[in-house]
Amino acid sequence: MDLTKRKNFYYVFSFIICFVIGGRLVQLQVINPEKFDKDAERNSVKTIITTPARGLIFDRNGRLLVDNKPSYSVTITKKEFDTNAIGIVCSLINVEPAFLKEELKKIEGTNRFIPTRIMRDVDFRVISFIEENREILKGVDYSIDPIRLYPTDFRGTHLIGYTKEISQNMLNKQQGDYYKQGDLIGTTGLEAGYENYLRGEKGYEFILQDSKGKEVGPLNDGKNDVKSISGYDLILSVDADVQKYAETLLEGRTGGIVALDPNNGEVICLVSKPDYDLNYFSGKLSPQVWTALNTDPNKPLFNRATQTRYPPGSTYKMVSALASLEEGIMKPNSTIPCEGSFRFGDKVFGDHGAYGSITIPTSIEHSSNVFYYKLVLRIGLDNWSKYGRILGFGDKTGIDIPEETKGLLPSTEYYNKRYGPKGWTEGYVVSLGIGQGELGVSPVQMANYTAMLSNSGTYYQPHLVKFLKNPQTGELVPVTYKKRELPIKKEYFKIIQKGMYLVVNGNGTGRSIRSSEVQIAGKTGTAQNPHGQDHSWFIAYAPADDPKIAICVMVENAGFGATVAAPIAQRIILKYLLGLTDESEVKETFGAN
Amino acid sequence: MQTKLFERFNFVVFISAFALITFGLLAIYSATYGNELVSGNFTKQLISACIGILIVLAIMYTPPKYLSMSSYLFYGLVILLLIAVLFLGKKIKGQTSWFSIAGFGIQPSEFAKVATVMALAFFLSNKHQDADVTKPRDFFFAVGICIIPVVLIMLQPDMGTTLVFLFLLLPVLYWAGMPNYIMFFIIAPAITAVCAFLGTWYFVAAVLFIIAMMLLFKRNILISVVIVCISIASGLSVNMVYSKLQPYQQKRIMSMFNPESDPLGAGYNVIQSKIAIGSGGLTGKGFLQGTQTQLKYIPEQWTDFIFCMVGEEFGFIGSIAVVLLFLILIWQTIHIAYICKNQFLSICCIGFATIFSFHILINLGMIMGIMPVIGIPLPFMSYGVSFLLSNLIMLGIILNAYRNRKDYV
Repeated sequence: MDLTKRKNFYYVFSFIICFVIGGRLVQLQVINPEKFDKDAERNSVKTIITTPARGLIFDRNGRLLVDNKPSYSVTITKKEFDTNAIGIVCSLINVEPAFLKEELKKIEGTNRFIPTRIMRDVDFRVISFIEENREILKGVDYSIDPIRLYPTDFRGTHLIGYTKEISQNMLNKQQGDYYKQGDLIGTTGLEAGYENYLRGEKGYEFILQDSKGKEVGPLNDGKNDVKSISGYDLILSVDADVQKYAETLLEGRTGGIVALDPNNGEVICLVSKPDYDLNYFSGKLSPQVWTALNTDPNKPLFNRATQTRYPPGSTYKMVSALASLEEGIMKPNSTIPCEGSFRFGDKVFGDHGAYGSITIPTSIEHSSNVFYYKLVLRIGLDNWSKYGRILGFGDKTGIDIPEETKGLLPSTEYYNKRYGPKGWTEGYVVSLGIGQGELGVSPVQMANYTAMLSNSGTYYQPHLVKFLKNPQTGELVPVTYKKRELPIKKEYFKIIQKGMYLVVNGNGTGRSIRSSEVQIAGKTGTAQNPHGQDHSWFIAYAPADDPKIAICVMVENAGFGATVAAPIAQRIILKYLLGLTDESEVKETFGAN
Repeated sequence: MQTKLFERFNFVVFISAFALITFGLLAIYSATYGNELVSGNFTKQLISACIGILIVLAIMYTPPKYLSMSSYLFYGLVILLLIAVLFLGKKIKGQTSWFSIAGFGIQPSEFAKVATVMALAFFLSNKHQDADVTKPRDFFFAVGICIIPVVLIMLQPDMGTTLVFLFLLLPVLYWAGMPNYIMFFIIAPAITAVCAFLGTWYFVAAVLFIIAMMLLFKRNILISVVIVCISIASGLSVNMVYSKLQPYQQKRIMSMFNPESDPLGAGYNVIQSKIAIGSGGLTGKGFLQGTQTQLKYIPEQWTDFIFCMVGEEFGFIGSIAVVLLFLILIWQTIHIAYICKNQFLSICCIGFATIFSFHILINLGMIMGIMPVIGIPLPFMSYGVSFLLSNLIMLGIILNAYRNRKDYV
């Protein structure tokens, strides 16, 4: 009887054991196997991110400006990485252990399971070392990443821009989680402006690996893989020849050039000098170079074509002229007497000549200051600001690179804020009339303004990119830009255009750049610079009767607009319209006929 | 003839054991698939199983008298081997538990389990000595039979196998007639020791429980007090011993209970095996399709971690089938122990059922992360010639007990 009890005790005891085991099996396999499924997958499936080829960049004639080339990056998968190997890895890629530890610290969260780039653009020697020593370098691998290649001597530094490894700050701020530590991101110029098109879409390859990290083969025969998609190519409106020529013309100087097609806003060339070699940013950017670029007193990283804020000088006079016409303050044939100097209060404003009573075109031709001192007082600050804004000042032009400043267009509010409602007088306005004072503009704003003057009041958003090219289908996707008509009558523009024509082709300040073949219309400007020599401005368009190019040249500390900036503008116009470098070549070519 | 065969041969035990061996062979095949270094393991296990069937049949047909008479001889031989292995054995992973004979590794400690159970059974069933486990002399003799192999195996050192010997003693003594209260006296210090390790409140609760049980049994007050004192002392000494250990030893003990605390060391295998089993889901990933198994995430999976393959590739259905086969086998063995009139064979059956149960609990519990990490193999399934043969010897004796269940000896 006792034995029966004991037997049952054994039955129950062994049943409890099996019940506990069975219960645990239910818990692991039936209730939540998904959790373990994921773990198993993470364990054995290595995810390789394939970096797509960045979109290429072509000029308007289909010439390749920016290409890609393969480069090797060393990557580390934190989860698999043995920290004892830090020493080896450091000597391999030639960095301080502290740097590597810092990089490793940044790899957190989901990044632990995927390879993260630690060093870009390494030698093939490094790659073969990794291949040969996989056992000791667990978690260390390499990836082949396309980096930028600039196949020609075309520079276009500030318009193309550069890519750079994404910063921690940008990583934290990004929407979504596309970018990972070590990824390249367009940082300036078109590379930044069109980042979302150029970058393409990353691909994912799933590779089975055994517990030693040895690759066994693709998961599910690669059926789960996601192919990377190359980025869109950019077809620019820029003419590579003109751009190159413009760059040489500004070589050794400091300044900016922007040339637009006034019929559509296409940028023909965009130059900022001094510039730098974009190759510095392809592959790994050495910290020394980066520091040097940042501390250079000439500020080569600064885009002078779009980011400067200098007074435009006399090139701005047409704003007042248009304002007075549109507001009915001046009739097309009204005149203003120009005595050679102008007294306002107890201050005397000078001029370079006495012209008598002159009309608007003549005032532009001779760049009379007195005319505009008087005119700006007649139209008043508010109208002056209003037409400045209509003509695109004090705001971004909308050019398709991110580096652009609004500039500064003073207004009553601005002065009230700056000096207090009683702290400023109309005398401040007098110098604004001739484009001096606090007014700040950039070459791209001036080029945009010139284009609108030349096309009689149509704003076309300035842009560098004409088409995006789908790399899969080859399809060209046109990019749409803004266009609007200015609220100024066309006939008033004709008066301005007449004046600008006379500047070059009459007896005006720009007559030195007159061309026998191309009728250029323009306007000189000299911006007073309290810090040094005056800045030289010249805006122009050509041909005068059917404008195909509108240009602004700004050269810092170069004195009169007529002597430095104007000849540069003329040469670029000749190059663009005729393919010739200067007026002597024009005479040789056309004189022979 | 047909009825007579069923009368003499327990097909339930035999078929469940061989089903388990088949599962084991499939698992070993999968776990070593594509791994040149151990590709011979499957063949070795298969040959062992084939030879094993002959051994099973041979033992089954041996007259019980010879079996019981040979117990001490077998036990003595095994003890000699356990001593010899300490001097002549191969050291593998810090353990000296192997002889290498003609390419086959022989592990005496596996046979020691069988021999010890047989020796105990022989001692406890010996009519001439009239052994009575309630007498201290006989009790300590029985304990001595267990302790000798324990000491020798601890010297190897092989903690997992040692535990098997300690745990098989009590059920065997209980089956041999040990009264409940003495059983409790023996277990009491162990309870307090474990509870003290878990925490102070567990310890206090355990002491109160023991005092309550002592009052319930209403035994000699002096003995009761002594038992309670011993229990308290054992509880206190556990933490003292633990605090005296080196930090690395403490870490090993901690990771035994909490594998996650050391994911790259002792805990690695358990984390991986849990993943393997969990990811198998209801129906498994299919034979040779388990990523954990095929990509070798679990080191030496064909030995202690063989069940991972079943869990991963055959899923819950396969796993629960294995557990049920074990339960059938164990229940049948207990049933045979109950109906067998030969006390030697009856005690042997209980000893073997205990060994199987303990192995299953510790092995499967460890693999699924609910038991400490103690390396002992899974009966009939884990790779190991000695282990499989010792399991088959037990099977033979169980079948023998069934065959001769009606004979008194």
